[in-house]
Amino acid sequence: MNSSVQHANGRYPPGDFAIWIFIYAELLAFGIFFLSYAFARANNVELFNESQLLLNRTAGAINTLLLITGSYFVVRAVAAIRDDKAQLCSRWLMAAIMMACAFLAIKLVEFYTKYQEGISLSTNTFYMFYLSMTFFHFMHVILGAVILAAVMLKARNGAYSREEHTGVETGGSYWHMVDLVWIILFPLVYIIR
Amino acid sequence: MQYQSQAVAKPYFIAAIGLFVGQILFGVILGLQYVIGDFLFPEIPFNVARMVHTNLLIVWLLFGFMGASYYMVPEEAETELHSPRLALALFWIFLVAGALTVLGYLLVPYATLAEITGNDLLPTMGREFLEQPTITKIGIVVVALGFLFNISMTILKGRKTVISMVLLLGLWGLALFFLFSFYNPTNLILDKYYWWWVVHLWVEGVWELIMGAILAFVLIKMTGVDREVIEKWLYVIIAMTLITGILGTGHHYYWIGTPEYWQWWGSIFSALEPIPFFMMVIFAFNMVNRRRREHPNKAAMLWALGTPVMAFLGAGVWGFMHTLAPVNYFTHGTQITAAHGHMAFYGAYVMVVLAMISYAMPILRGRAAANSEKSQVMEMWSFWLMTVAMVFITLFLTGAGVLQVWLQRISESAMPFMVVQDQIAIFYWMREVAGVVFLAGLVLYIMSFFVGGEEKTAQA
Amino acid sequence: MSEKFTKSMARNIFYGGTVFFFLLFLALTFDTAGVLPDRDHRENITEQVALGKKVWEDNNCIGCHTLLGEGAYFAPELGNVYTRFGNSKEAIIGFIQSRPKEGIPGRRSMPQFNLSDEELDAIAEFLKWTSEVDAAGWPPNIQG
Repeated sequence: MNSSVQHANGRYPPGDFAIWIFIYAELLAFGIFFLSYAFARANNVELFNESQLLLNRTAGAINTLLLITGSYFVVRAVAAIRDDKAQLCSRWLMAAIMMACAFLAIKLVEFYTKYQEGISLSTNTFYMFYLSMTFFHFMHVILGAVILAAVMLKARNGAYSREEHTGVETGGSYWHMVDLVWIILFPLVYIIR
Repeated sequence: MQYQSQAVAKPYFIAAIGLFVGQILFGVILGLQYVIGDFLFPEIPFNVARMVHTNLLIVWLLFGFMGASYYMVPEEAETELHSPRLALALFWIFLVAGALTVLGYLLVPYATLAEITGNDLLPTMGREFLEQPTITKIGIVVVALGFLFNISMTILKGRKTVISMVLLLGLWGLALFFLFSFYNPTNLILDKYYWWWVVHLWVEGVWELIMGAILAFVLIKMTGVDREVIEKWLYVIIAMTLITGILGTGHHYYWIGTPEYWQWWGSIFSALEPIPFFMMVIFAFNMVNRRRREHPNKAAMLWALGTPVMAFLGAGVWGFMHTLAPVNYFTHGTQITAAHGHMAFYGAYVMVVLAMISYAMPILRGRAAANSEKSQVMEMWSFWLMTVAMVFITLFLTGAGVLQVWLQRISESAMPFMVVQDQIAIFYWMREVAGVVFLAGLVLYIMSFFVGGEEKTAQA
Repeated sequence: MSEKFTKSMARNIFYGGTVFFFLLFLALTFDTAGVLPDRDHRENITEQVALGKKVWEDNNCIGCHTLLGEGAYFAPELGNVYTRFGNSKEAIIGFIQSRPKEGIPGRRSMPQFNLSDEELDAIAEFLKWTSEVDAAGWPPNIQG
């Protein structure tokens, strides 16, 4: 259980071992949610199809693009620090955080609209899943943004270098996980009929 | 003993064991009442024996946690306890208040106890595990605050280690969540909702932090493994505890009138609650495998390894078996619950306190590190007797529960509760035998304290 | 040095994760509080029902019985006893009143609590109210 120093020239998995326990736990939690959704849907196909039509796919699609773009920016940030360019790294991270904020804003509008329409966790099983999963993910996007912000500030203050930037890789891995979850969630809940 | 003030742990441990004996005596009484229904009726009706049994359990574990804290914190903080006198005063206050409460349960009808203790001014009595009169509850808060003050001041003036911080967090959490026991709304559903903020957030929440800290301390002392490694993994374990356990509270919100989405949230997150216990098993065995010394206290080592295993089985596995809503629909409020409850409490909390006592008591009594060979062997026998007996208690109650669920809830010709109880009586008799064996193990445990002899020369 | 960093990361995950999930728990609690009135019919919590809960607590009924599955497992579930006794308050009252002081030889026995008429009516009202709470279809059958 010794944590080994991860070098920039790619010992995998990137970042610290302990973070991967948490990433796996996160994926497990979301995975179970997805499976539960699939199971519930199998028992309520009509209800799910009907309720799904009321979702805002455009918002969902834009959000997908925002997160993927954010991931691209994170990749650029890691590349920058591997090149010993701490300030550039922090700017790429800022860009990623902007993407996250845009996602959060659009999602908030979506939630608010649903609230106005009188839809809640108790409306029906589909909406219970929709609201639960997207809210759970929403909170993870916030957490991801907070983590990126912490890493960004540390990068700006010179805490990372070509030799030692485990934190950037760890934070980056977490962000990618959040993105990955959405990439599954969006088609699963918004699209698949 | 590195610090003189660690000595205050001793009376706490002795009281803990004494109350443990009381708890088990009443456990044996209850087990007999299950099969000889009017045993000791009407002098000690079932509900009175039960509240004595459960309240003694909780109080002796609290004495154990406090004793463990008084032993651990001076050593961790590398400074004497802030006030040994306060610790001793609180000891007597807590012990006397506890004794009076138990006497109150036994000597007067419960409704009378409620009346004479002024329950009507602020009604908090009459809920499971919270049977104490309101004035006792207030007393508990006062004792807890005094204890927390003492421990916190000690840590503040000394070295702040991860172990002591995690312990402190767990203890403050324990006190904070106990405050919800004062909230008793007229609406039964709200009453139940917040009752679990005491019970679940205690035993599937902050108590696990206390357990983790105690286990980590004992493992560092006995294996000599690098503190950095142990502390990091302690953080990982308690993180998983709260990450799964907080929303895991939802597995108590399936059938009490709360919204149905809890069946999903509660099932998903409580299904993950075994993870920290599994990690504790790996953690403990890994540490012992990588040990840098052969500690002479073999008995304590046995308790330290047995704890996570039984905790994982009782809390993790047995808990998992009935945590998913579709299963729980049928098992809710049956002997399945009792089976899980017994092994979980024993594995997680009884054993970790006994592990701490096993480690610390010899030192508190003037040994260098461990008791004599003879004493340790007797103690290890008691470990096996109690642990195996508990496994059988759990197995028998599981059998009772499965049959109960089938006969009372699933079968086409479902039978009434009392009829079913008669049908499963054989399991109760077997459970009682196992319970008596447990008591025998406990007696042997007590005896081991009185076995003298030479300590084996300590090895580095 | 990386070792120390990793411990801080574990610490941050602990604190962050705890705050995260506690906030989520509070959010769900808030939603639950909003939904409960539709499920618990609290408008039916009359003074009698409130008194009934007090009688229930003062006599520690939960020490032998379960209520909505919670409590002790010595005696039957009472969340649906109103229904099980044929929607009859009188049946409930009659049962409690008729418990022999010395118990039933060899059988699990319920104490005689010597409740007043008002208290008896109250506890029956309380159990009636409880039986009407929307408990998501629990218990599975009339036996509780």
